[in-house]
Amino acid sequence: MSTFSRLYRADTSFDFVGNARRWLIISGTIVFVSLAGFVIRGLNLNVDFEGGVIVQVANETNATVADMRAALTAIGLGDARIEFLDSLDGATAFRVRTPALDEALESELVHTVADTGGVGIEETDVEAVGPTFGAEITARAIQALVVFLVVVALFIAWRFEWKMAMAGLTALFHDLIITFGVYALVGFEVTPATVVAVLTILGYSLYDTVVVFDKVTENVESWSDSHTYTEIVNRAMNQVLMRSINTSLTSLLPVGSLLFVGSYLLGAATLREFALALFVGIAAGTYSSIFVASPLLAVWKEKEDYWQLHRRRLEGRREAKLTKASAGRTSAPRAARPPTVGGVTPRPPKKRKKR
Amino acid sequence: MSKRAVTMLVILAVAWGGLALALTNDMAPKLGLDLKGGTSVILRAPEGTDSDVLAKAVEVMRSRIEAIGGVQEPEIQVSGDRNVLIQLPGVTNQEQALSVIGQTGQLSFRPVLAERTAGDPFAGLLDTTTTTNPTPTSTTAPADDSTTTSSSTTTSSSTTTTTTTTTLPGIDPDSGLTIADDPTQPGWLAQYAEDGTIAEVLLVGGTDLMGDQVDEALPFFDPTENRWVVQLGLDSTGADAFEAMTKQAAQYGLYIDPQRRIAIVLDGEIMSAPWVTPDEGIAGGTAIISVGSQQEAQDLSVVLRYGSLPISFERLDVKKVSATLGSDSLQAGLVAGLGGLILVAIAVVFYYRVLGLVTVLGISVFGSLLIATIGTLGRVQGLTLTLSGVTGIIVSIGITADSYIVFFERIKEEIREGRSLLLAVDEGFARAFRTILTADTVSFMGAFLLYALAIGPVKGFALSLGIATVVDVIVAYFFTRNVVGILARTGFGEGGWFSIRGATGVALEGSTS
Repeated sequence: MSTFSRLYRADTSFDFVGNARRWLIISGTIVFVSLAGFVIRGLNLNVDFEGGVIVQVANETNATVADMRAALTAIGLGDARIEFLDSLDGATAFRVRTPALDEALESELVHTVADTGGVGIEETDVEAVGPTFGAEITARAIQALVVFLVVVALFIAWRFEWKMAMAGLTALFHDLIITFGVYALVGFEVTPATVVAVLTILGYSLYDTVVVFDKVTENVESWSDSHTYTEIVNRAMNQVLMRSINTSLTSLLPVGSLLFVGSYLLGAATLREFALALFVGIAAGTYSSIFVASPLLAVWKEKEDYWQLHRRRLEGRREAKLTKASAGRTSAPRAARPPTVGGVTPRPPKKRKKR
Repeated sequence: MSKRAVTMLVILAVAWGGLALALTNDMAPKLGLDLKGGTSVILRAPEGTDSDVLAKAVEVMRSRIEAIGGVQEPEIQVSGDRNVLIQLPGVTNQEQALSVIGQTGQLSFRPVLAERTAGDPFAGLLDTTTTTNPTPTSTTAPADDSTTTSSSTTTSSSTTTTTTTTTLPGIDPDSGLTIADDPTQPGWLAQYAEDGTIAEVLLVGGTDLMGDQVDEALPFFDPTENRWVVQLGLDSTGADAFEAMTKQAAQYGLYIDPQRRIAIVLDGEIMSAPWVTPDEGIAGGTAIISVGSQQEAQDLSVVLRYGSLPISFERLDVKKVSATLGSDSLQAGLVAGLGGLILVAIAVVFYYRVLGLVTVLGISVFGSLLIATIGTLGRVQGLTLTLSGVTGIIVSIGITADSYIVFFERIKEEIREGRSLLLAVDEGFARAFRTILTADTVSFMGAFLLYALAIGPVKGFALSLGIATVVDVIVAYFFTRNVVGILARTGFGEGGWFSIRGATGVALEGSTS
């Protein structure tokens, strides 16, 4: 049977957790590169965050936004924001915003804008502007974010358990760092739309992780008698794998379409700002729920006394079975009794009632 | 007709009917500045204004505009040394928004020195006998103070005060009011009634207790007194000044002497002039102001919170602006988004067969409900859809599609475990719905917190995401469950390649364990 039809029937048995070390090393490397890019190159914040220059001219030549855009593209400022102003008496004007420029480029900008508007340089109005997405909005967004993360962690801890909350948050930070890393490394402009896209990624990443953990919890209820925690997680991963792939596909198709068709083929550079963040973030979110959150959870839970004891007991039982099966061997070693952990009575995991 | 069929038809009717109604009744979603353009206003501060003060003013303006709810995502930035550029999306509340941001907004708390009635404009300028009906407002110490009991009653007894004044410079001879109010100097100021007439004229003293000393002002309902109040909090210097002022006022007769009152003045206009009910000064910087209705409480708290622009602005320029994003980008985005959705539709139909068709139909129901809701909110609440909001919606389509996938994968799983199709569909939904609820709760909490705590574009995004999450749960419960339930009982359940069982990859006879 082909891998696809096995996937289709959820018949796969990939060992996700067994390779945990490998996945975590890969993720760790990507995160490290992202952080390095972040530190070395920094983010390219656009005029909405940093402020910049506004050039305003009367439109004497009845030029269109497209004319202005073409003129600006010629001097390499194609992604400036162009606004068409319309007064009540019918006179029109342009307002062009760019990030802060060096003196030569700024004077080139002023000349270009004045030429397109058909007025002299002395009639253009050039002003340095402050950010629209200022410190206040940023501070409030960060404050909201911190509260959100704490509440979500508490919710997952209550609904599932706190190790899942921690694993989910780890995956979330992983996705965030990678997304910002891509921005830093590629040097794309970060705009307010990017910030919103990043917030979306948070929700998406958590959503994805919650679906996987929901399956794990359910499997613990029905499978824990005969399987180790790692096996349970692996099983859950294989069960939700097709769902993860399909969901990423249905999310990535429209976003990818926005990114590639919208921004490259039809030349709408402004869409790129958020489509790229969404694309990277969603891809990272799917990856991390499979390769970061779950392996991390499995490795962590396996360290618990209960699950260690459980594993040894199961291994013992399986070995005994094997021994019995190989009849004729008289000197088969007895199944080792599971060692006990001195002084500590291991606690069984909390079993939740099915709802 | 079965209950399922009825429910399904009802939700289809609500969704598509709602969409049709919204679009035909001019309730299509209002588009924000980046998508549709709006109004651009330039305000100029006095020369030599400190940049910190300017930044503070921008902050106050943003709060004010967001507090009136008419404009969702104003764009405000400092431009040059002393200009502020404000861009407001939408048109309907433009006038209101302009009037709110245009206010110079200097808020002060002033001791009342004397009063007289309106009507005879020259009354206060010569020897007069005045009669007044005090407004039913009063200032009291925080809630635990027992003296609040009597304060809510409106005193209708007329007060007679004899004031001797002569015509002073700076007094408008027509109205008898002070022409230019300086908060540090006494002045004759009016409180206006709703219809714009003068309700009351008071002589208020100079003060150093200004609006920027207000920390918080919250309207709430006081159940023990059965009325609306505004809780006022002042910073430490404000608290001292307030205590001194109320102590001074407390010497005079309650509901008899106007000097027992404190006037809250915004831009030379008296907003409220409550009586001080406790017989000593109000210490600690907190006070409860009792007012009549909920509306009054809300209005007063907005004035108190946002009423203090540190500087007064002059309006320089008002113009219409084009969409900042550009219609070319918008068109490209729509084409691309639509193309992406068609790809998704093809993929899910190929993969889930008849259930894929359900998904496509379900997403149209979801989209219709969402557009109708956003359109209605736009009309009622002034919600505008910006690029951030559109982003939220595009992503929520992905999350909605996921709800279907979670459900369908569940059905496949149940069938592989050997359950009958009907049981698999019911049991599968019950379990999948639990997962969907958990995951949507996380999204909704995020949306709610972001909406409550953030400002600017983040708020717009959070609102559309929150609405989308709720709509997702509704569609899953009322639409998807019923449609799949009905399909499972028809030829589309057990039939061939295109059926539900066909999508599970498990043949009818050879079910695996």
